[in-house]
Amino acid sequence: MSEFERTTGMRLTRRGFLAGTGAAALAAGLPMPALAKGQVIVGTWGGDYQALLTANFEKPILEKKGIEVIHDISGAPPRKTKLLAERVSRRGTMDVACLSDIDMFEMSKQNLFDNVDPTKVPNAKNIFKQLAKPYAIPHIYSGKVLVYNPNKMSPTSFADFLDPKYKGRIGFADGLYMQIIESAALVNGGSMSNYEPGKATLTELKKFEPKVFPSNETLAAALKSEEVWATVMWRARGFMWKKAGIPLATIAPKEGTTPIIFDAAVPKNAQNKDNGWAYLDAMLDPGGQVLFADRMGYVPTVNNAKLPDDLAKEIGFTEAEQEKFNIPNYEYIAANNAALLEWWNKSFKA
Amino acid sequence: MSVAFEEAAGGRRRSVAPALVGPATILVVLVLVLPMAILFRYSLNQFVPGQFMVEAVTIANYVRFFTDIYYINVLWTTVQVAIACTVISLVLAFPVAYFLARTTSRFKSILVILAVFPLMVGNVVRAAGWMVVLGNDGVVNAVLRWIGLVEEPVKLLYTPTAVIIGIIAVVLPYMILTLQSVLEGIDYSVEEAALNLGAKPSTTFFRIVLPLAMPGVVAGTVLVFILCMNAYATPVLLGGPQFKMMAPALYDQIARSTNWPFGAALAFVLMATTLTLTIVSTTVMQRRMRR
Repeated sequence: MSEFERTTGMRLTRRGFLAGTGAAALAAGLPMPALAKGQVIVGTWGGDYQALLTANFEKPILEKKGIEVIHDISGAPPRKTKLLAERVSRRGTMDVACLSDIDMFEMSKQNLFDNVDPTKVPNAKNIFKQLAKPYAIPHIYSGKVLVYNPNKMSPTSFADFLDPKYKGRIGFADGLYMQIIESAALVNGGSMSNYEPGKATLTELKKFEPKVFPSNETLAAALKSEEVWATVMWRARGFMWKKAGIPLATIAPKEGTTPIIFDAAVPKNAQNKDNGWAYLDAMLDPGGQVLFADRMGYVPTVNNAKLPDDLAKEIGFTEAEQEKFNIPNYEYIAANNAALLEWWNKSFKA
Repeated sequence: MSVAFEEAAGGRRRSVAPALVGPATILVVLVLVLPMAILFRYSLNQFVPGQFMVEAVTIANYVRFFTDIYYINVLWTTVQVAIACTVISLVLAFPVAYFLARTTSRFKSILVILAVFPLMVGNVVRAAGWMVVLGNDGVVNAVLRWIGLVEEPVKLLYTPTAVIIGIIAVVLPYMILTLQSVLEGIDYSVEEAALNLGAKPSTTFFRIVLPLAMPGVVAGTVLVFILCMNAYATPVLLGGPQFKMMAPALYDQIARSTNWPFGAALAFVLMATTLTLTIVSTTVMQRRMRR
């Protein structure tokens, strides 16, 4: 017993102290610290995407709920590999997996994710129906367009790249091999279920020495220095690069635009599932989605997120463009990804 | 009594020694042998697009590697780059290591720290630095244009030369440190004796220093060669998408194609090639040492 306890006759225990100070804080009208609800581990891309997740969803929504967010940052391929490696484990290391729609479908085929429970993700009711899927929530989306330097050229179709005057001036990001083969296929009689004609188009294009860059960032640097003048890219990235001062314009090609959706899902072996669902719900918050659109140029996936008109015009797609959306055939892509990558590496890049 | 004590102590040592290596052995089995065994088993599985990995016992992945000229070329490129980087780093490191071993400067420890300084920066960061130096708008091209040697930028980045420069920058400290430790053990009076007897410096080097330093040359060469064979970040960042070495090709299969069976087969081909070349080169060099 301490001197304080002996003289006052009070025994101060840790629990008593916490209860007392809590009551005192309540009585004083002071805000009570939120009760910690544990962690949520989010497998995501780094850079702007992660920074905006933190600023728009984690700090304003999840922090208030007492959820501590830990980021598992890397590109999509290592995170896909990790999900696959952990699939037989009861204790996974990711509570939320962020992937593109193509990757998410491929992983869902391995039965890696729980279906989205609308009672745990109330904001899911606002998701545009055409973007909804059972195993993931669509977080943001954009579409594949032609991004070009308007001072140098004005393409309207991928076919315009096959022009000797653009020799050495067309650049591609290595990671978008699938989308580039698809674009090449669509101008040569291919379809969303048949990318094979794209090989002939790209073989023809190879005569004009297109450049392949290891990342989006190196491609952006080449566009900025005018080493290359045009590429195939998400409209959102074009918007971001334009905001960064690179002289660029975007156009939905005549052959149509393919939407790209960035999804999020809760793995079956997640350790903090409830927090995972809370995270997914936060990602669908309309306010955060609008801020995401303003900074990164990706279009909201919920019908209650309203973009300012000028921003919607810049990053969105007109009704005519939406009508010409080429919807990916995920089954076809999953079945042909390895073979197409092989061709890309061995025949196009070599 | 002394003999009995030694026998007793020796006997105790014999009984304790195996137990001492036990923890390390268990650790190696758990974190190296077991995962490798699993990976080898994967390499015998079948990849079915869309279904990930299907259980099988087939050598099809190995057959595919050895019958596909593309992958043979990737392996050949890897071996060529590894040999080039090992030889160049040996040539560059030897004088530095010799100087560090022989110097009596009070700044010797600072010089050693400077030699290993590059190891304090990660491979990726170092490669990013080289990208700034070698890029079209990089330092080298800026200087070349400034002095009027070229008008259009010279392509330095995304070339095999860039990869070799980048890898040498990574492995050079390993070679320097390995050589330095052996050169420090060579008695300088042996060299002085040779010079005293009229041997030219080059003769002294090739007949005295180099043979005595061969254990360090072998160790450094093996260490650097293995590091070069397994280089990943530098070839990816400085070689660009068109340049393929084995580690990036392996990554492509595992992570981008989700073709784990073929990726696992590539890993074992890389491992077997590295091991074979290491054993062959070590044996050859050791034979030369004995002569």
